[in-house]
Amino acid sequence: MNGRKSFKDDEFSFDMNTMTGISSAWSETKIKERVLTQFNQTRARRNIINATAVYGLSFCAILVLFCLFNIIFHLLVQGFSSLNRDFFLQLPKPVGEPGGGTANAIVGTLILLIVAVLVGVPIGLGAGIYLSEYAHQRFAQAVRFTTDVMNGIPSIVFGIFAWTILVVPFKSFSALSGGIALGIMMIPMITRTTEGFVRMVPVPLREAGLAIGTPKWRVIKDIVVPSSLGGIVTGIMVSLARVAGETAPLLFTAFGNHFWHSSLLAPIAALPLQIFSYAISPFEDWHRQAWAGALVLILIVFVINLCSSYFVGRQRRMFSSHK
Amino acid sequence: MVRKILGLTLLIGLCSTTAFAAVLINGAGATFPYPIYSKWFDVYHKMNPEIQFNYQSIGSGGGIKQITAKTVDFGASDGPMTQDQLNEAPGRIYHIPMVMGAVVITYNVEGLDKNLKFTPDVVADIFLDKITNWNDPRIAAANPGVRLPSGSILVVHRSDGSGTSYIFTDYLSSISSAWKAKVGKGTSVNWPVGLGGKGNEGVAGLIKQTPGSIGYVELSYAIKNDLDYAELENSSGHFIKPDLDSTAKAAQGVKIPDDFRVSLVNSSNPDAYPISGFTWVLIYKDMEDHVKGKAIVDFIKWAIHDGQAYTEDLLYAPLPAEVIEMIEKKLEQVKY
Repeated sequence: MNGRKSFKDDEFSFDMNTMTGISSAWSETKIKERVLTQFNQTRARRNIINATAVYGLSFCAILVLFCLFNIIFHLLVQGFSSLNRDFFLQLPKPVGEPGGGTANAIVGTLILLIVAVLVGVPIGLGAGIYLSEYAHQRFAQAVRFTTDVMNGIPSIVFGIFAWTILVVPFKSFSALSGGIALGIMMIPMITRTTEGFVRMVPVPLREAGLAIGTPKWRVIKDIVVPSSLGGIVTGIMVSLARVAGETAPLLFTAFGNHFWHSSLLAPIAALPLQIFSYAISPFEDWHRQAWAGALVLILIVFVINLCSSYFVGRQRRMFSSHK
Repeated sequence: MVRKILGLTLLIGLCSTTAFAAVLINGAGATFPYPIYSKWFDVYHKMNPEIQFNYQSIGSGGGIKQITAKTVDFGASDGPMTQDQLNEAPGRIYHIPMVMGAVVITYNVEGLDKNLKFTPDVVADIFLDKITNWNDPRIAAANPGVRLPSGSILVVHRSDGSGTSYIFTDYLSSISSAWKAKVGKGTSVNWPVGLGGKGNEGVAGLIKQTPGSIGYVELSYAIKNDLDYAELENSSGHFIKPDLDSTAKAAQGVKIPDDFRVSLVNSSNPDAYPISGFTWVLIYKDMEDHVKGKAIVDFIKWAIHDGQAYTEDLLYAPLPAEVIEMIEKKLEQVKY
């Protein structure tokens, strides 16, 4: 602080000198020198602060990458050797019999995600559009607060909720209850991202629509939603990737199944459940299968994320072509 | 349009049922018997392709809860249901023993060339934090000729609710009045001392990594993880090494009550390992569904006879002949 202040003072006195015309060569060079050294000092200090900040931040970024790659590397090392044709095509085998796969769990996870999308997307999408386009401030604030709270609820609570309203009354665990539990988890995430992206559509774009006499609902349907579609889809994909790895909500809903599911009203296998029960067993062979399962799960999430970044890219290209 | 059709086909393909008219029977409960149940259900399915048993190991407590809520067709537990729990159930529940298991006291002490021997009072006092050093004279008394190192004892117990803890605390309560008064028995208790590990594998891992530690796990986990485990003095004063034979002995020559809800710890059989117990499946006496009921009873009949042959490989102790006879009589009362 001190150095900076004195620099300012010097600057002031320098100005005073030139303005009043009292210019002696000696004093001018001396003042210039002083200003320059002061300036250099502060510059050095700034450089240090700058460097610390940049390196500190990039260290954090590298740490993030390191964690992610460490996990992926670990999964590849432990799981890759167990990935083979059987793993994708066979049903699980009991202890002591080598081989076997998790075909039913892979398919089960995909079905659970489809059900989750069917439940979560329409509601989340509708709520998000409503919040952005129609809602009164106070009501919107209330809904936003609720969705934020819902985002923070531990996922097992969604499972118990689905167990209470869907499993107990029907006396059976089911794929449907598992998918609905996941779908409910997706709602708050989709609501918030949809609202955000829809709100970002420029007002002149809407006004252009309204100006030629288009009703509001058509402006939303044909202008607002299509132009923010990339962002909306990304939000859906991200929430989908998040629920894909959830175990807790499935324990008391989808339940798990060693066989192919017979219908959506019967228990169904899911990768996270399979990984969980294999990982806590005392058997080496099952541990290997658990690693392979984890690898497949992370690949599914990875593919979902790739799709979402494709949509973001498309969104960006669309907007840049508008300009 | 092409994309839509592709998507639709994919959806139908995924959701379409793999069509064969199978009976799916769901069960849930104890983790401990999961390996042998999954083996049995697989073998049984190969013999009877139309019947599928789906068992999920969610824990003994979960098994009792789900069978009470009738969300599964059968439950499974390592500890018997209490009278209160039975009264809460919407129907009469039978306990059917399937196999037997043992809980062993396992430890990590360097430089020992043979298994340690423990008397019951020493075990109780270690877990009550009264014996805190490995060179305690009371441990040495039961192990003549063994050089015990000086070092404090680290107790490891289960952090989660478990049937293993139930059998172990049941044992401690039966041999130590101090334990019974201070801690008691249950799937999770208020441990006077020690670190918690999650699941059998958690406890086994902690003991493997920590010199000077002592804990308890199912026999199969101790063997699979190459842990040392102690010989224990039983009620007749013999030191017994836990193995499948000495575990099975716990139910021999002992009066088994008609409802099988019996604790086998500290068995009066002179050759029995004292921390042994049944693991049960829980079924309703009156089955609502004829097909499922028949399938369950048929399966249990198979498991207590032919099925027992698979116990040894998977480190479970088979049921004694007299218990099998009793189960057969019991199954005759099941209505479906």
